[in-house]
Amino acid sequence: MSSKPVLVVGGGPAGLSAARALADAGQKVVLVDKEDRLGGAPILSGYAKLVPSHEWAKDAIGGMVSGVEGHDMVEVKTETRVDKFEGDPGNFVATLSDGSKVEASATILATGFTHFDSVNKPEWGFGTYPDVVTTTQVEQMLSSGAGVKCPSDGREPDRVAILLCVGSRDRQIGREWCSKICCTVSANLAMEIREQLPNCNVYIYYMDIRTFGLYEGEYYWASQEEHKVKYIKARIAEVTGDGKRLLVKGEDTLVKRPISIPFDMVVHAVGMDPNVDNMTLGAVFNVDLNKYGYIGKPSTYAHMSETSRPGVFVAGAATGPETIDDSIAQGKAAAMAALISANSTVREAAE
Amino acid sequence: MPIHEKSLIRPENLVEHEELVIDGVDVSGHWSTFIEGRSVPDYNEDLQEEIAALGGGENIHRCWQCGSCTNACTVNAINPDFNPRFWIYLIRMGLEEELVRDREIIWQCVSCNKCTYACPRDVNPEGVMKATAHWLELKGYTETKPSMVFDEEFSHQVFETGKIEEAKVLQKFFKRTNQPLTQPWLIQLVSGLVKRFPVFYLMKLGFATVFHPRTRNWDRSRDAIKEYVDERNAEIHKALKLDAKGAD
Repeated sequence: MSSKPVLVVGGGPAGLSAARALADAGQKVVLVDKEDRLGGAPILSGYAKLVPSHEWAKDAIGGMVSGVEGHDMVEVKTETRVDKFEGDPGNFVATLSDGSKVEASATILATGFTHFDSVNKPEWGFGTYPDVVTTTQVEQMLSSGAGVKCPSDGREPDRVAILLCVGSRDRQIGREWCSKICCTVSANLAMEIREQLPNCNVYIYYMDIRTFGLYEGEYYWASQEEHKVKYIKARIAEVTGDGKRLLVKGEDTLVKRPISIPFDMVVHAVGMDPNVDNMTLGAVFNVDLNKYGYIGKPSTYAHMSETSRPGVFVAGAATGPETIDDSIAQGKAAAMAALISANSTVREAAE
Repeated sequence: MPIHEKSLIRPENLVEHEELVIDGVDVSGHWSTFIEGRSVPDYNEDLQEEIAALGGGENIHRCWQCGSCTNACTVNAINPDFNPRFWIYLIRMGLEEELVRDREIIWQCVSCNKCTYACPRDVNPEGVMKATAHWLELKGYTETKPSMVFDEEFSHQVFETGKIEEAKVLQKFFKRTNQPLTQPWLIQLVSGLVKRFPVFYLMKLGFATVFHPRTRNWDRSRDAIKEYVDERNAEIHKALKLDAKGAD
Protein backbone atom coordinates (compact mmCIF):
# COMPACT_ATOMS: atom_id res chain seq x y z
CA MET A 1 0.00 0.00 0.00
CA SER A 2 1.39 3.38 -1.00
CA SER A 3 2.36 5.49 1.99
CA LYS A 4 1.39 8.61 0.11
CA PRO A 5 -2.29 9.51 0.31
CA VAL A 6 -4.74 9.58 -2.56
CA LEU A 7 -6.14 13.05 -3.07
CA VAL A 8 -9.93 13.07 -3.53
CA VAL A 9 -11.34 16.35 -4.85
CA GLY A 10 -14.99 16.87 -4.02
CA GLY A 11 -17.01 15.54 -1.11
CA GLY A 12 -20.29 14.62 -2.78
CA PRO A 13 -21.65 11.08 -3.17
CA ALA A 14 -18.87 10.04 -5.61
CA GLY A 15 -16.04 11.59 -3.58
CA LEU A 16 -17.38 10.25 -0.26
CA SER A 17 -17.74 6.78 -1.73
CA ALA A 18 -14.19 6.88 -3.20
CA ALA A 19 -12.68 8.19 0.05
CA ARG A 20 -14.48 5.61 2.16
CA ALA A 21 -13.50 2.72 -0.13
CA LEU A 22 -9.83 3.73 -0.17
CA ALA A 23 -9.76 4.28 3.59
CA ASP A 24 -11.43 0.93 4.29
CA ALA A 25 -8.79 -0.71 2.07
CA GLY A 26 -6.09 0.83 4.27
CA GLN A 27 -5.13 3.63 1.94
CA LYS A 28 -4.60 7.12 3.37
CA VAL A 29 -6.86 9.75 1.82
CA VAL A 30 -6.93 13.54 1.74
CA LEU A 31 -10.43 14.75 0.88
CA VAL A 32 -10.80 18.41 -0.12
CA ASP A 33 -14.01 20.29 -0.80
CA LYS A 34 -14.48 23.94 -1.71
CA GLU A 35 -17.62 24.22 0.44
CA ASP A 36 -17.72 24.49 4.22
CA ARG A 37 -19.14 20.98 4.63
CA LEU A 38 -19.21 17.63 2.93
CA GLY A 39 -22.14 16.02 1.17
CA GLY A 40 -22.17 17.72 -2.22
CA ALA A 41 -25.34 18.66 -4.09
CA PRO A 42 -27.76 16.46 -2.09
CA ILE A 43 -26.75 18.18 1.16
CA LEU A 44 -25.83 21.67 -0.06
CA SER A 45 -28.97 22.01 -2.20
CA GLY A 46 -31.16 20.43 0.47
CA TYR A 47 -32.63 17.55 -1.49
CA ALA A 48 -35.66 15.82 0.03
CA LYS A 49 -36.30 12.10 -0.39
CA LEU A 50 -33.95 10.37 -2.81
CA VAL A 51 -34.75 8.13 -5.76
CA PRO A 52 -35.03 5.15 -5.57
CA SER A 53 -34.67 4.49 -1.84
CA HIS A 54 -37.08 7.21 -0.57
CA GLU A 55 -34.54 7.92 2.18
CA TRP A 56 -34.10 11.54 3.17
CA ALA A 57 -30.92 12.95 1.60
CA LYS A 58 -29.69 14.22 4.95
CA ASP A 59 -29.90 10.67 6.34
CA ALA A 60 -28.56 8.77 3.34
CA ILE A 61 -25.73 11.13 2.34
CA GLY A 62 -25.29 12.36 5.92
CA GLY A 63 -24.46 8.78 6.87
CA MET A 64 -21.78 8.67 4.20
CA VAL A 65 -20.36 11.98 5.47
CA SER A 66 -20.03 10.82 9.05
CA GLY A 67 -18.49 7.55 7.86
CA VAL A 68 -15.73 9.51 6.14
CA GLU A 69 -15.30 12.28 8.72
CA GLY A 70 -14.81 9.82 11.54
CA HIS A 71 -12.38 7.63 9.60
CA ASP A 72 -8.78 7.71 10.88
CA MET A 73 -7.39 7.12 7.37
CA VAL A 74 -9.13 10.23 5.96
CA GLU A 75 -8.01 13.81 6.38
CA VAL A 76 -10.86 16.17 5.46
CA LYS A 77 -10.14 19.72 4.33
CA THR A 78 -13.22 21.84 3.71
CA GLU A 79 -13.25 25.33 2.19
CA THR A 80 -10.17 24.25 0.31
CA ARG A 81 -9.38 24.21 -3.41
CA VAL A 82 -6.48 22.75 -5.33
CA ASP A 83 -4.43 25.59 -6.85
CA LYS A 84 -1.62 23.61 -8.42
CA PHE A 85 -1.16 19.98 -9.31
CA GLU A 86 2.21 18.77 -10.57
CA GLY A 87 4.22 15.58 -10.92
CA ASP A 88 3.75 12.07 -12.22
CA PRO A 89 1.72 9.04 -11.14
CA GLY A 90 2.95 7.98 -7.71
CA ASN A 91 4.62 11.33 -7.10
CA PHE A 92 2.09 14.11 -7.45
CA VAL A 93 2.36 17.33 -5.46
CA ALA A 94 -0.82 19.32 -4.95
CA THR A 95 -0.70 22.88 -3.64
CA LEU A 96 -3.90 23.73 -1.81
CA SER A 97 -5.55 27.12 -1.38
CA ASP A 98 -4.57 27.21 2.33
CA GLY A 99 -0.91 27.12 1.23
CA SER A 100 -0.26 23.55 2.32
CA LYS A 101 1.13 20.91 0.01
CA VAL A 102 -0.05 17.31 -0.35
CA GLU A 103 2.19 14.63 -1.79
CA ALA A 104 -0.22 12.22 -3.44
CA SER A 105 0.16 8.92 -5.23
CA ALA A 106 -2.98 9.50 -7.32
CA THR A 107 -6.01 11.74 -7.38
CA ILE A 108 -9.72 11.31 -7.98
CA LEU A 109 -11.79 14.18 -9.35
CA ALA A 110 -15.30 13.93 -7.97
CA THR A 111 -16.13 17.51 -8.69
CA GLY A 112 -19.73 17.03 -9.71
CA PHE A 113 -22.00 19.36 -11.62
CA THR A 114 -23.79 22.71 -11.32
CA HIS A 115 -27.57 23.05 -11.47
CA PHE A 116 -28.75 24.76 -14.64
CA ASP A 117 -29.63 28.39 -13.97
CA SER A 118 -33.20 28.86 -15.18
CA VAL A 119 -32.62 32.56 -15.81
CA ASN A 120 -31.09 31.36 -19.07
CA LYS A 121 -34.58 30.44 -20.30
CA PRO A 122 -36.30 33.77 -19.68
CA GLU A 123 -39.42 32.82 -21.68
CA TRP A 124 -40.34 30.36 -18.94
CA GLY A 125 -40.66 33.10 -16.36
CA PHE A 126 -38.02 32.19 -13.77
CA GLY A 127 -36.73 35.36 -12.15
CA THR A 128 -39.73 37.32 -13.45
CA TYR A 129 -42.52 35.61 -11.53
CA PRO A 130 -41.85 34.52 -7.95
CA ASP A 131 -44.12 31.47 -8.30
CA VAL A 132 -41.91 30.03 -11.02
CA VAL A 133 -39.46 27.87 -9.10
CA THR A 134 -37.00 25.04 -9.76
CA THR A 135 -37.09 21.40 -8.70
CA THR A 136 -34.26 22.25 -6.28
CA GLN A 137 -36.46 24.81 -4.56
CA VAL A 138 -39.33 22.36 -4.25
CA GLU A 139 -36.89 19.80 -2.79
CA GLN A 140 -35.97 22.42 -0.21
CA MET A 141 -39.61 23.20 0.56
CA LEU A 142 -40.11 19.52 1.31
CA SER A 143 -36.83 18.81 3.12
CA SER A 144 -37.07 21.91 5.33
CA GLY A 145 -40.58 20.98 6.42
CA ALA A 146 -41.91 24.36 5.27
CA GLY A 147 -44.23 22.62 2.82
CA VAL A 148 -45.03 23.39 -0.79
CA LYS A 149 -46.25 26.98 -0.95
CA CYS A 150 -46.29 29.70 -3.58
CA PRO A 151 -43.38 32.03 -2.78
CA SER A 152 -45.40 35.13 -3.79
CA ASP A 153 -48.00 34.99 -1.02
CA GLY A 154 -47.44 31.70 0.82
CA ARG A 155 -50.67 30.09 -0.37
CA GLU A 156 -50.86 26.40 -1.06
CA PRO A 157 -51.08 25.85 -4.81
CA ASP A 158 -54.19 24.24 -6.31
CA ARG A 159 -52.45 23.43 -9.53
CA VAL A 160 -48.79 22.88 -10.26
CA ALA A 161 -47.04 22.48 -13.62
CA ILE A 162 -43.67 20.82 -13.85
CA LEU A 163 -41.77 21.65 -17.04
CA LEU A 164 -39.24 19.03 -18.03
CA CYS A 165 -36.00 19.51 -19.96
CA VAL A 166 -35.20 22.96 -18.60
CA GLY A 167 -31.54 23.28 -19.52
CA SER A 168 -31.43 19.85 -21.09
CA ARG A 169 -31.79 18.69 -24.70
CA ASP A 170 -31.80 22.30 -25.79
CA ARG A 171 -29.47 23.19 -28.66
CA GLN A 172 -30.59 26.78 -28.60
CA ILE A 173 -28.72 27.33 -25.37
CA GLY A 174 -25.97 24.78 -25.95
CA ARG A 175 -27.29 22.05 -23.67
CA GLU A 176 -27.39 19.08 -25.99
CA TRP A 177 -27.46 16.40 -23.32
CA CYS A 178 -30.24 14.65 -21.47
CA SER A 179 -29.75 15.23 -17.77
CA LYS A 180 -31.04 11.73 -17.16
CA ILE A 181 -32.49 12.13 -13.68
CA CYS A 182 -35.02 14.99 -14.02
CA CYS A 183 -37.91 12.85 -15.36
CA THR A 184 -37.71 10.46 -12.43
CA VAL A 185 -37.05 13.23 -9.91
CA SER A 186 -40.04 15.17 -11.24
CA ALA A 187 -42.31 12.12 -11.05
CA ASN A 188 -41.12 11.62 -7.48
CA LEU A 189 -41.68 15.28 -6.58
CA ALA A 190 -45.11 15.22 -8.21
CA MET A 191 -46.09 12.28 -6.01
CA GLU A 192 -44.75 14.03 -2.92
CA ILE A 193 -46.69 17.19 -3.76
CA ARG A 194 -49.85 15.13 -4.26
CA GLU A 195 -49.29 13.39 -0.96
CA GLN A 196 -48.75 16.63 0.90
CA LEU A 197 -51.52 18.55 -0.89
CA PRO A 198 -54.18 16.01 -1.95
CA ASN A 199 -56.32 18.72 -3.54
CA CYS A 200 -53.48 20.03 -5.66
CA ASN A 201 -53.35 18.76 -9.23
CA VAL A 202 -49.95 18.23 -10.78
CA TYR A 203 -49.27 18.31 -14.51
CA ILE A 204 -45.96 17.34 -16.08
CA TYR A 205 -45.18 18.85 -19.48
CA TYR A 206 -42.71 16.70 -21.37
CA MET A 207 -41.19 16.04 -24.78
CA ASP A 208 -40.17 12.48 -23.93
CA ILE A 209 -40.32 10.72 -20.61
CA ARG A 210 -37.11 8.97 -19.62
CA THR A 211 -37.82 7.32 -16.29
CA PHE A 212 -35.31 4.73 -17.36
CA GLY A 213 -34.83 1.16 -16.16
CA LEU A 214 -36.76 0.06 -13.11
CA TYR A 215 -38.13 3.56 -12.48
CA GLU A 216 -40.83 2.89 -15.11
CA GLY A 217 -43.16 1.12 -12.70
CA GLU A 218 -42.39 2.83 -9.42
CA TYR A 219 -42.29 6.37 -10.74
CA TYR A 220 -43.80 6.73 -14.20
CA TRP A 221 -46.84 4.52 -13.69
CA ALA A 222 -47.23 4.87 -9.94
CA SER A 223 -47.37 8.65 -10.33
CA GLN A 224 -50.19 8.29 -12.86
CA GLU A 225 -52.11 5.34 -11.50
CA GLU A 226 -51.87 5.92 -7.76
CA HIS A 227 -51.22 9.64 -7.54
CA LYS A 228 -53.17 10.85 -10.59
CA VAL A 229 -50.36 12.97 -11.93
CA LYS A 230 -51.09 14.06 -15.50
CA TYR A 231 -48.44 13.88 -18.25
CA ILE A 232 -48.94 16.22 -21.19
CA LYS A 233 -46.80 16.10 -24.30
CA ALA A 234 -46.15 19.75 -24.92
CA ARG A 235 -43.10 21.94 -25.20
CA ILE A 236 -44.08 25.10 -23.40
CA ALA A 237 -43.73 28.31 -25.43
CA GLU A 238 -43.93 30.79 -22.59
CA VAL A 239 -44.98 31.33 -19.00
CA THR A 240 -46.67 34.64 -18.27
CA GLY A 241 -48.86 35.95 -15.48
CA ASP A 242 -52.17 37.76 -15.23
CA GLY A 243 -51.36 39.32 -11.89
CA LYS A 244 -52.99 36.50 -9.94
CA ARG A 245 -51.99 33.22 -11.51
CA LEU A 246 -49.40 32.06 -13.99
CA LEU A 247 -50.41 31.31 -17.56
CA VAL A 248 -48.68 28.43 -19.29
CA LYS A 249 -48.85 28.57 -23.07
CA GLY A 250 -47.87 25.89 -25.53
CA GLU A 251 -49.28 23.25 -27.81
CA ASP A 252 -50.63 19.93 -26.67
CA THR A 253 -48.99 18.01 -29.48
CA LEU A 254 -50.98 14.79 -29.03
CA VAL A 255 -54.25 16.57 -29.82
CA LYS A 256 -52.78 19.40 -31.92
CA ARG A 257 -54.42 22.03 -29.72
CA PRO A 258 -52.85 25.25 -28.50
CA ILE A 259 -53.24 25.51 -24.74
CA SER A 260 -53.18 28.44 -22.39
CA ILE A 261 -53.73 27.09 -18.90
CA PRO A 262 -53.70 28.88 -15.53
CA PHE A 263 -51.39 27.57 -12.82
CA ASP A 264 -50.50 28.56 -9.28
CA MET A 265 -46.96 27.33 -9.43
CA VAL A 266 -44.61 26.37 -12.26
CA VAL A 267 -41.63 24.17 -11.48
CA HIS A 268 -38.61 23.99 -13.76
CA ALA A 269 -37.03 20.53 -13.79
CA VAL A 270 -33.53 21.93 -14.08
CA GLY A 271 -30.81 19.90 -15.75
CA MET A 272 -27.22 19.26 -14.82
CA ASP A 273 -24.66 21.66 -16.26
CA PRO A 274 -20.95 20.93 -16.19
CA ASN A 275 -19.44 22.25 -12.98
CA VAL A 276 -18.86 25.99 -13.43
CA ASP A 277 -15.27 25.39 -12.23
CA ASN A 278 -14.50 22.79 -14.92
CA MET A 279 -12.35 25.15 -17.01
CA THR A 280 -10.21 25.88 -13.95
CA LEU A 281 -10.13 22.23 -12.92
CA GLY A 282 -9.12 21.21 -16.44
CA ALA A 283 -6.26 23.70 -16.39
CA VAL A 284 -5.06 22.90 -12.84
CA PHE A 285 -5.13 19.12 -13.28
CA ASN A 286 -4.23 19.28 -16.96
CA VAL A 287 -7.10 17.00 -17.99
CA ASP A 288 -9.16 17.30 -21.17
CA LEU A 289 -12.79 18.30 -21.06
CA ASN A 290 -15.24 16.78 -23.52
CA LYS A 291 -17.13 18.90 -26.05
CA TYR A 292 -19.93 19.55 -23.57
CA GLY A 293 -17.59 20.85 -20.88
CA TYR A 294 -17.60 17.82 -18.58
CA ILE A 295 -14.36 16.07 -17.65
CA GLY A 296 -13.53 13.76 -20.54
CA LYS A 297 -13.20 9.99 -20.30
CA PRO A 298 -10.96 8.79 -23.15
CA SER A 299 -11.93 5.16 -22.77
CA THR A 300 -15.35 3.77 -22.09
CA TYR A 301 -14.58 0.12 -21.43
CA ALA A 302 -10.94 -0.77 -20.96
CA HIS A 303 -9.85 1.91 -18.51
CA MET A 304 -12.61 2.68 -16.10
CA SER A 305 -12.52 6.08 -14.39
CA GLU A 306 -9.47 7.36 -16.28
CA THR A 307 -9.00 10.89 -17.55
CA SER A 308 -6.59 12.04 -20.24
CA ARG A 309 -3.83 12.27 -17.61
CA PRO A 310 -2.42 9.07 -16.04
CA GLY A 311 -2.90 8.90 -12.30
CA VAL A 312 -5.81 11.33 -12.37
CA PHE A 313 -9.16 9.58 -12.13
CA VAL A 314 -12.72 10.82 -12.29
CA ALA A 315 -16.07 9.72 -10.87
CA GLY A 316 -19.69 10.82 -10.71
CA ALA A 317 -21.41 13.79 -12.34
CA ALA A 318 -18.08 15.42 -13.17
CA THR A 319 -18.17 13.31 -16.33
CA GLY A 320 -21.76 14.04 -17.30
CA PRO A 321 -25.26 13.85 -15.81
CA GLU A 322 -25.30 11.02 -13.30
CA THR A 323 -27.58 9.51 -10.68
CA ILE A 324 -26.56 9.41 -7.03
CA ASP A 325 -26.36 5.63 -6.87
CA ASP A 326 -24.28 5.44 -10.05
CA SER A 327 -22.03 8.23 -8.72
CA ILE A 328 -21.44 6.17 -5.61
CA ALA A 329 -20.63 3.12 -7.73
CA GLN A 330 -18.26 5.16 -9.88
CA GLY A 331 -16.60 6.54 -6.75
CA LYS A 332 -15.81 3.02 -5.69
CA ALA A 333 -14.61 2.11 -9.19
CA ALA A 334 -12.33 5.16 -9.22
CA ALA A 335 -11.01 4.16 -5.79
CA MET A 336 -10.09 0.78 -7.22
CA ALA A 337 -8.42 2.37 -10.23
CA ALA A 338 -6.47 4.78 -7.99
CA LEU A 339 -5.42 1.96 -5.71
CA ILE A 340 -4.12 -0.09 -8.64
CA SER A 341 -2.27 2.92 -10.00
CA ALA A 342 -0.76 3.86 -6.63
CA ASN A 343 0.41 0.33 -5.87
CA SER A 344 1.77 -0.46 -9.33
CA THR A 345 4.15 2.49 -8.94
CA VAL A 346 5.08 1.13 -5.51
CA ARG A 347 5.77 -2.28 -7.06
CA GLU A 348 7.80 -0.76 -9.89
CA ALA A 349 9.92 1.15 -7.36
CA ALA A 350 10.50 -2.05 -5.36
CA GLU A 351 11.76 -4.02 -8.36
CA MET B 1 -61.29 42.50 -43.51
CA PRO B 2 -62.77 39.55 -45.40
CA ILE B 3 -61.50 36.13 -44.34
CA HIS B 4 -60.53 34.03 -47.32
CA GLU B 5 -59.97 30.66 -45.73
CA LYS B 6 -63.04 30.35 -43.55
CA SER B 7 -62.99 26.59 -43.95
CA LEU B 8 -59.90 26.47 -41.76
CA ILE B 9 -61.60 28.28 -38.90
CA ARG B 10 -64.18 26.79 -36.59
CA PRO B 11 -67.47 28.55 -37.37
CA GLU B 12 -68.06 29.41 -33.71
CA ASN B 13 -64.77 31.31 -33.68
CA LEU B 14 -65.90 33.70 -36.41
CA VAL B 15 -67.54 36.62 -34.66
CA GLU B 16 -69.23 39.71 -36.01
CA HIS B 17 -70.41 42.54 -33.80
CA GLU B 18 -73.47 44.58 -34.63
CA GLU B 19 -72.12 47.59 -32.83
CA LEU B 20 -68.64 47.72 -31.44
CA VAL B 21 -66.21 50.58 -31.08
CA ILE B 22 -62.68 49.97 -29.85
CA ASP B 23 -60.51 52.98 -29.05
CA GLY B 24 -62.79 55.19 -31.12
CA VAL B 25 -62.62 52.90 -34.16
CA ASP B 26 -65.88 51.43 -35.39
CA VAL B 27 -65.37 47.69 -35.84
CA SER B 28 -68.98 46.68 -36.43
CA GLY B 29 -70.36 44.42 -39.11
CA HIS B 30 -69.12 41.88 -41.61
CA TRP B 31 -66.10 43.90 -42.71
CA SER B 32 -64.72 43.68 -39.20
CA THR B 33 -65.17 39.96 -38.63
CA PHE B 34 -63.15 38.75 -35.65
CA ILE B 35 -61.48 35.38 -35.24
CA GLU B 36 -61.63 34.22 -31.65
CA GLY B 37 -58.65 32.40 -30.15
CA ARG B 38 -58.86 28.64 -30.38
CA SER B 39 -56.59 27.71 -27.53
CA VAL B 40 -57.78 25.43 -24.76
CA PRO B 41 -58.26 27.72 -21.76
CA ASP B 42 -58.45 25.21 -18.90
CA TYR B 43 -58.59 21.60 -17.75
CA ASN B 44 -61.55 19.87 -16.11
CA GLU B 45 -59.59 18.05 -13.46
CA ASP B 46 -62.46 15.72 -12.55
CA LEU B 47 -63.16 14.40 -16.04
CA GLN B 48 -61.10 11.21 -15.80
CA GLU B 49 -62.65 10.32 -12.45
CA GLU B 50 -66.13 10.97 -13.81
CA ILE B 51 -65.64 8.60 -16.73
CA ALA B 52 -63.97 6.05 -14.44
CA ALA B 53 -67.06 6.13 -12.22
CA LEU B 54 -69.24 4.90 -15.09
CA GLY B 55 -69.38 1.25 -16.10
CA GLY B 56 -66.58 0.39 -18.56
CA GLY B 57 -64.40 3.40 -17.84
CA GLU B 58 -62.64 2.01 -14.76
CA ASN B 59 -59.25 1.36 -16.40
CA ILE B 60 -58.91 4.57 -18.39
CA HIS B 61 -55.97 5.80 -16.29
CA ARG B 62 -53.80 2.98 -17.63
CA CYS B 63 -53.68 4.28 -21.21
CA TRP B 64 -50.26 5.07 -22.62
CA GLN B 65 -51.50 6.39 -25.95
CA CYS B 66 -50.11 3.64 -28.19
CA GLY B 67 -53.08 3.87 -30.59
CA SER B 68 -53.77 0.13 -30.79
CA CYS B 69 -57.47 0.76 -30.18
CA THR B 70 -57.77 3.25 -33.03
CA ASN B 71 -55.77 0.94 -35.28
CA ALA B 72 -58.03 -1.98 -34.54
CA CYS B 73 -61.24 0.03 -34.71
CA THR B 74 -64.02 -1.02 -37.10
CA VAL B 75 -65.65 2.40 -37.15
CA ASN B 76 -62.36 4.27 -37.58
CA ALA B 77 -61.80 2.38 -40.85
CA ILE B 78 -64.95 4.04 -42.18
CA ASN B 79 -64.83 7.35 -40.35
CA PRO B 80 -61.32 8.60 -39.46
CA ASP B 81 -62.86 11.08 -37.03
CA PHE B 82 -63.82 8.16 -34.81
CA ASN B 83 -60.64 7.94 -32.74
CA PRO B 84 -60.86 6.25 -29.31
CA ARG B 85 -57.16 6.95 -28.53
CA PHE B 86 -57.78 10.66 -29.00
CA TRP B 87 -60.86 10.74 -26.76
CA ILE B 88 -59.14 8.74 -24.05
CA TYR B 89 -56.38 11.35 -24.08
CA LEU B 90 -58.89 14.23 -23.92
CA ILE B 91 -60.61 12.58 -20.96
CA ARG B 92 -57.39 11.85 -19.12
CA MET B 93 -56.15 15.41 -19.51
CA GLY B 94 -59.54 16.99 -18.80
CA LEU B 95 -60.03 18.68 -22.19
CA GLU B 96 -63.81 18.61 -21.83
CA GLU B 97 -64.62 21.20 -24.47
CA GLU B 98 -62.71 19.24 -27.11
CA LEU B 99 -64.44 16.02 -26.08
CA VAL B 100 -67.92 17.51 -26.25
CA ARG B 101 -67.14 18.75 -29.77
CA ASP B 102 -67.27 15.07 -30.87
CA ARG B 103 -70.50 14.21 -29.06
CA GLU B 104 -72.25 13.11 -32.24
CA ILE B 105 -69.45 10.67 -33.18
CA ILE B 106 -68.56 9.01 -29.88
CA TRP B 107 -71.76 7.01 -29.48
CA GLN B 108 -71.31 5.43 -32.93
CA CYS B 109 -69.12 2.69 -31.40
CA VAL B 110 -70.43 -0.68 -32.61
CA SER B 111 -68.99 -2.60 -29.63
CA CYS B 112 -67.10 -5.08 -31.79
CA ASN B 113 -64.47 -5.21 -29.01
CA LYS B 114 -61.51 -5.47 -31.39
CA CYS B 115 -59.89 -2.69 -29.34
CA THR B 116 -60.50 -4.64 -26.15
CA TYR B 117 -58.29 -7.45 -27.43
CA ALA B 118 -55.71 -5.13 -29.05
CA CYS B 119 -55.14 -3.00 -25.94
CA PRO B 120 -51.82 -3.88 -24.25
CA ARG B 121 -52.78 -2.10 -21.01
CA ASP B 122 -56.22 -3.61 -20.58
CA VAL B 123 -57.88 -0.21 -20.74
CA ASN B 124 -61.06 -1.67 -22.27
CA PRO B 125 -61.57 1.13 -24.82
CA GLU B 126 -64.96 -0.23 -25.82
CA GLY B 127 -66.08 0.20 -22.22
CA VAL B 128 -64.65 3.71 -22.20
CA MET B 129 -66.68 4.55 -25.32
CA LYS B 130 -69.81 3.23 -23.61
CA ALA B 131 -69.03 5.17 -20.45
CA THR B 132 -68.32 8.33 -22.45
CA ALA B 133 -71.57 8.08 -24.39
CA HIS B 134 -73.35 7.59 -21.06
CA TRP B 135 -71.48 10.57 -19.58
CA LEU B 136 -72.47 12.80 -22.52
CA GLU B 137 -76.08 11.83 -21.97
CA LEU B 138 -76.01 12.31 -18.19
CA LYS B 139 -74.37 15.71 -18.53
CA GLY B 140 -77.03 16.71 -21.03
CA TYR B 141 -74.66 17.14 -23.95
CA THR B 142 -76.61 14.70 -26.11
CA GLU B 143 -80.39 14.74 -26.38
CA THR B 144 -82.37 11.70 -25.29
CA LYS B 145 -82.83 9.68 -28.45
CA PRO B 146 -85.93 7.51 -29.08
CA SER B 147 -83.78 4.38 -28.76
CA MET B 148 -82.81 5.45 -25.23
CA VAL B 149 -86.49 5.81 -24.33
CA PHE B 150 -87.09 2.34 -25.69
CA ASP B 151 -84.20 0.91 -23.66
CA GLU B 152 -85.48 2.63 -20.55
CA GLU B 153 -88.98 1.28 -20.97
CA PHE B 154 -87.64 -2.17 -21.76
CA SER B 155 -85.39 -2.42 -18.72
CA HIS B 156 -88.01 -0.81 -16.49
CA GLN B 157 -90.41 -3.62 -17.34
CA VAL B 158 -87.82 -6.31 -16.82
CA PHE B 159 -86.90 -4.89 -13.41
CA GLU B 160 -90.50 -4.46 -12.35
CA THR B 161 -92.02 -7.74 -13.53
CA GLY B 162 -89.16 -10.05 -14.43
CA LYS B 163 -90.44 -10.29 -18.02
CA ILE B 164 -91.37 -8.11 -20.95
CA GLU B 165 -94.58 -7.68 -22.83
CA GLU B 166 -93.87 -6.46 -26.34
CA ALA B 167 -97.26 -4.85 -26.72
CA LYS B 168 -96.84 -2.89 -23.51
CA VAL B 169 -93.28 -1.82 -24.35
CA LEU B 170 -94.34 -0.59 -27.76
CA GLN B 171 -97.38 1.15 -26.41
CA LYS B 172 -95.41 3.06 -23.79
CA PHE B 173 -92.55 3.77 -26.19
CA PHE B 174 -94.85 5.34 -28.77
CA LYS B 175 -96.65 7.29 -26.12
CA ARG B 176 -93.49 8.73 -24.59
CA THR B 177 -92.00 9.62 -27.97
CA ASN B 178 -95.27 11.17 -29.17
CA GLN B 179 -95.76 8.72 -32.01
CA PRO B 180 -99.14 7.31 -33.06
CA LEU B 181 -99.75 3.68 -32.15
CA THR B 182 -101.25 3.16 -35.59
CA GLN B 183 -97.94 2.58 -37.36
CA PRO B 184 -98.53 0.95 -40.78
CA TRP B 185 -96.00 -1.83 -40.06
CA LEU B 186 -97.61 -2.53 -36.71
CA ILE B 187 -101.09 -2.69 -38.21
CA GLN B 188 -99.77 -5.11 -40.82
CA LEU B 189 -98.08 -7.23 -38.15
CA VAL B 190 -101.15 -7.46 -35.97
CA SER B 191 -103.57 -8.17 -38.84
CA GLY B 192 -101.14 -10.81 -40.12
CA LEU B 193 -101.11 -12.40 -36.68
CA VAL B 194 -104.90 -12.42 -36.44
CA LYS B 195 -105.24 -14.00 -39.88
CA ARG B 196 -102.55 -16.66 -39.65
CA PHE B 197 -101.91 -17.49 -35.99
CA PRO B 198 -103.53 -20.71 -34.60
CA VAL B 199 -106.65 -19.88 -32.59
CA PHE B 200 -105.35 -21.51 -29.41
CA TYR B 201 -102.28 -19.25 -29.33
CA LEU B 202 -104.34 -16.20 -30.21
CA MET B 203 -106.54 -16.88 -27.22
CA LYS B 204 -103.53 -17.33 -25.00
CA LEU B 205 -102.11 -14.08 -26.31
CA GLY B 206 -105.36 -12.25 -25.72
CA PHE B 207 -105.61 -13.67 -22.22
CA ALA B 208 -102.07 -12.53 -21.41
CA THR B 209 -102.76 -9.04 -22.75
CA VAL B 210 -105.76 -8.64 -20.47
CA PHE B 211 -104.56 -10.40 -17.30
CA HIS B 212 -100.74 -9.71 -17.34
CA PRO B 213 -99.38 -12.98 -15.92
CA ARG B 214 -96.76 -12.38 -13.21
CA THR B 215 -93.41 -13.97 -12.61
CA ARG B 216 -93.64 -16.09 -9.48
CA ASN B 217 -91.89 -14.70 -6.39
CA TRP B 218 -90.48 -11.75 -8.34
CA ASP B 219 -90.86 -9.20 -5.54
CA ARG B 220 -87.65 -10.07 -3.72
CA SER B 221 -85.66 -10.11 -6.96
CA ARG B 222 -87.19 -6.80 -7.95
CA ASP B 223 -86.27 -5.23 -4.64
CA ALA B 224 -82.70 -6.51 -4.88
CA ILE B 225 -82.32 -5.19 -8.44
CA LYS B 226 -83.87 -1.89 -7.49
CA GLU B 227 -81.55 -1.53 -4.52
CA TYR B 228 -78.53 -2.18 -6.71
CA VAL B 229 -79.67 0.17 -9.47
CA ASP B 230 -80.41 2.93 -6.96
CA GLU B 231 -77.05 2.44 -5.30
CA ARG B 232 -75.20 2.65 -8.62
CA ASN B 233 -77.21 5.68 -9.70
CA ALA B 234 -76.44 7.43 -6.43
CA GLU B 235 -72.72 6.70 -6.90
CA ILE B 236 -72.78 7.96 -10.46
CA HIS B 237 -74.70 11.10 -9.56
CA LYS B 238 -72.27 11.80 -6.78
CA ALA B 239 -69.23 11.23 -9.02
CA LEU B 240 -70.66 13.42 -11.76
CA LYS B 241 -71.94 16.00 -9.27
CA LEU B 242 -75.44 15.84 -10.73
CA ASP B 243 -78.52 16.75 -8.72
CA ALA B 244 -80.36 13.89 -7.03
CA LYS B 245 -82.65 13.20 -9.96
CA GLY B 246 -80.79 13.43 -13.27
CA ALA B 247 -81.30 10.85 -15.95
CA ASP B 248 -81.79 7.17 -15.30
